[in-house]
Amino acid sequence: MAVKVKTLEELLKPPAEAASALSTQEYYVNMGPQHPISHGSLRFVVRLDGETAKEVMPVPGYVHRGIEKMCEHLSYRQMVHLSDRMDYFSALMGNWAVSKTVEHAAGIELNDRIEIIRTIMAELQRVQSHVLWWAVLGMDMGAATAFLYGFREREIIGEIFEETIGARLTMNYIQPGGVMYDIQPGFVAKVKKLISYLRPVIDEYDTLLSGNVILQERLRNVGVLDPKLALSMGCTGPVLRASGVPLDLRKVQPYGAYAKADFNVAVGSKGDSWDRYYVRVQEMRESLRIVEQLLDGIPEGPHMVMKPAVRIKVPEGMFYGQLETSRGILGLTLVSDGKGAGPIRAHFRSPNYNNLWVISALAPGWRVADTIAILSSLDLVIPEIDR
Amino acid sequence: MGAVDFSKVRLEQRTLAGVKIPVAVVPRIKKQSYLEKILIALKGLMKGMRLTFGYLIHPSRIVTQQYPENRATLKFPERYRANLKLIYDENGYHLCGGCKMCEKACPNASIKVLNRKGPVTGKLELDRYIWRMDSCTFCNLCVMACPSDALQMTHQFENAVYDRRLLIYNLNRYAGPPAEAMAKLDEEARKQAMEPRDVYGGPVPLNGEPLPNIPPIVIAGEEKAASETPPSTEGPAA
Amino acid sequence: MHESVVTTWMMTAGAWQAKTWAELASDALSQNIWLTVAYIAGGLIGSMTAVTILGLALIYAERKIAGHFQCRLGPMRVGPHGIFQTLADVVKLLMKEDIIPDRADKAMHLLAPFLAMGATMLVIAVIPYSPLLQLVDLNIGVLYVTAISGFGVMGILLGGWSSNNKWSLLGAMRSGAQIISYEVSATLALMVVVLFAGTLSLRGIVESQMDGWWIWRAHGVGIVAFIIYLIASTAEINRTPFDIPEGESELTGGFHTEYSGMRFSFFFLAEFLNMFVVGAMAATLFLGGWMPFHLGGWEGFNNVMGLIPPIVWFYGKVFFIIFVIMWFRWTFPRLRVDQLMRLEWKVLLPIGFVNLLAASVLVLTNLYFFPGN
Repeated sequence: MAVKVKTLEELLKPPAEAASALSTQEYYVNMGPQHPISHGSLRFVVRLDGETAKEVMPVPGYVHRGIEKMCEHLSYRQMVHLSDRMDYFSALMGNWAVSKTVEHAAGIELNDRIEIIRTIMAELQRVQSHVLWWAVLGMDMGAATAFLYGFREREIIGEIFEETIGARLTMNYIQPGGVMYDIQPGFVAKVKKLISYLRPVIDEYDTLLSGNVILQERLRNVGVLDPKLALSMGCTGPVLRASGVPLDLRKVQPYGAYAKADFNVAVGSKGDSWDRYYVRVQEMRESLRIVEQLLDGIPEGPHMVMKPAVRIKVPEGMFYGQLETSRGILGLTLVSDGKGAGPIRAHFRSPNYNNLWVISALAPGWRVADTIAILSSLDLVIPEIDR
Repeated sequence: MGAVDFSKVRLEQRTLAGVKIPVAVVPRIKKQSYLEKILIALKGLMKGMRLTFGYLIHPSRIVTQQYPENRATLKFPERYRANLKLIYDENGYHLCGGCKMCEKACPNASIKVLNRKGPVTGKLELDRYIWRMDSCTFCNLCVMACPSDALQMTHQFENAVYDRRLLIYNLNRYAGPPAEAMAKLDEEARKQAMEPRDVYGGPVPLNGEPLPNIPPIVIAGEEKAASETPPSTEGPAA
Repeated sequence: MHESVVTTWMMTAGAWQAKTWAELASDALSQNIWLTVAYIAGGLIGSMTAVTILGLALIYAERKIAGHFQCRLGPMRVGPHGIFQTLADVVKLLMKEDIIPDRADKAMHLLAPFLAMGATMLVIAVIPYSPLLQLVDLNIGVLYVTAISGFGVMGILLGGWSSNNKWSLLGAMRSGAQIISYEVSATLALMVVVLFAGTLSLRGIVESQMDGWWIWRAHGVGIVAFIIYLIASTAEINRTPFDIPEGESELTGGFHTEYSGMRFSFFFLAEFLNMFVVGAMAATLFLGGWMPFHLGGWEGFNNVMGLIPPIVWFYGKVFFIIFVIMWFRWTFPRLRVDQLMRLEWKVLLPIGFVNLLAASVLVLTNLYFFPGN
């Protein structure tokens, strides 16, 4: 299955004239780059027939900062802090993706402590990211209260990060060869308290939004994504899993300490917006399970296996590493000439970029408001699309 | 009973790429008859309203922090990363030997270390430590890279100024050798080795490269105050 | 049974004056034409002031209540607990540049906010606030209110159309479709009370509830009608979950996307005053207007209730309804436009018709609670 994606020139041809006196004229609207739904700066060219969207064409590129090009001028350590600024809701996982690829390329072996700390932090971040997505979905659907509730929990998780890492959003914590700081002494107790706080809160989310008939009606059967289409368009993460494909790198290619934890991969059965919605809610619960299991088994050891100022030597060649962020598979290809302190070419495979384009396959035929619902359920972070 | 039984997550085993994966199939919305649907819908709406009402009548659950009124009681975690500063020992000597490791570690060229030949020691020593707050991402790599632990991220996070040139700081209070080298000198030589530097005392714009047509900013009282008393260790105040 | 208290109020009212402002003005005509002019001017200025204060108070209340629903404090900066925040915002809006889009229909663009505001103001004139205070009492009050509040949509339609913006137009069209649909249900719900009370005059309807409010007295159909009215009128005034004409996340601002400054604030104020109108209508028709709350047989309780002045009763009821509407807004997500239509035509309208039918049977068989004295 393939979707024909039109170019902008094709799209911007004048709309078809009315065939008869009774039929209506189609028209174009620009959604974004300044629009409440654009979640940053994403532009959609939408062809509308009354309230019905006939065509949705994403036009990314408004937050392009040339991160991949910048990486060519930075060392492997310095690259990490740019990965914070791509998908800033899963900044730690971005850090981890860079570190993982560099460690793989440079042949750095890590100890269990580092792997477990990384996994716990990444899963907390996944919960934080999904909580924020839930909040924003509520906002997009018009439930402003959900937005504030989501942000409340996000801040509470942020405080845990702040204590250990020193930053809340762009953390630059996971470094090649370890993590920047060791965990604080009270960390385990605090995270346990957080988990016992978050579990009922997620049930509360179910009461406020998931159990609300309006939200159910807005999401159910809207924008059904066929698994074949999803795979052919390179969708990953909850978007793909909602279509029933249990592709989760945490299980398929276990990295970090995921092999030590017992958890289920949340999948949907139909692939509509509701499945995409509830897969993420379920993922929050599964992430809390992972954290809970790993908390008690943090072994002793150093939090860095190499000195923070030592130059990382990567042999000549091309290296690829990937992991599962909260939005899908984030991959990094590095090309090294074996001499410099950094790569001569870096390319990120960003989950959002692939997830974005299914909107042009899903939205046509639905109303304007459904376009919003589908977009919201795709959970896009624009800076990662544009990089 | 709602339209969705949220506790009903179906557990299954699926195989993908030869790997057995335990999956949790998320619940779907049940089909209902017309009347049942209205009743369930009303019930779901009421539940949501009860939840929000619960928050309304419990002001203790308010999370708003009234900044800046609570400035005095703000708590920062120890590792909180905000403005950079040089660490001074109990005698007021910095620890920076001017090795430029931080400058190399900085991913966006926010740090410029200018060295000079020491008038007393004859060796290279720190002249100006210029930190561009306006381009700093607080990534902490400079602190990590420093071999003599001379740098620290403080809790000073209020940086609003009216001119962005005021965001370019000179971090060292004096040009001269670090504490280690100072220990070898006698009292008189120490005084000679040190030359005061104020917060905005660097060759201000753009990493030491003067910009044409931008006159250097003179802040009333700042120069005098800086030379008399060392600037606050909490970071430069504008 | 509890005549004592209510009649005390009625008598006090009668002893002083039980006339509406309009009647006073027309009486004055026989003495001095300038007195009439003074009455009219006083009424206009008084209601304008009252409306402004009411608008400010409601906006402040909304923000505070929204804040507390959301674990926030709401405005806290301007004045103690931020009570002057809305005032400060009004000043800000007044001083803002009034932008008219280049290719807009300027006359319509200028007129639209005043239409929206004017319709609301006209409705406020007929509401009986207390036995002593009512501007005009029309014998077709209910009909008048329904007709005029439907007129307010003209402002929204014109505003959306004249802005020459696709989002505004979409919002305006949605608004038109929505108000036309929901007006049917709202009117059907009001009809139930009219059937029981046997009058269209709002004062008459309030006085008919001396023995008990229609929401209880009308044997179940009252409460159904009340709920239908609440839902339908929430939709009529474009509040969440029916705020699709604004539809912030879809239409950026809907019909008022291109409005700024004072004109925007007129739309904004009209929304809040509409909320007051809905509350006032619901209170008048279903909750007994300014009548105190009474329980049959509890003399002492009834007397205590009767001590509270009627205007407090009226505003208490109105603010309760407004609170419920705000509560809706800060809990629910927004419906989609076709779901909105489905809710009206497939759920509310059939129930409304059945309810009206049941009500007429009840009225014909005289089978309602507390059948008169």
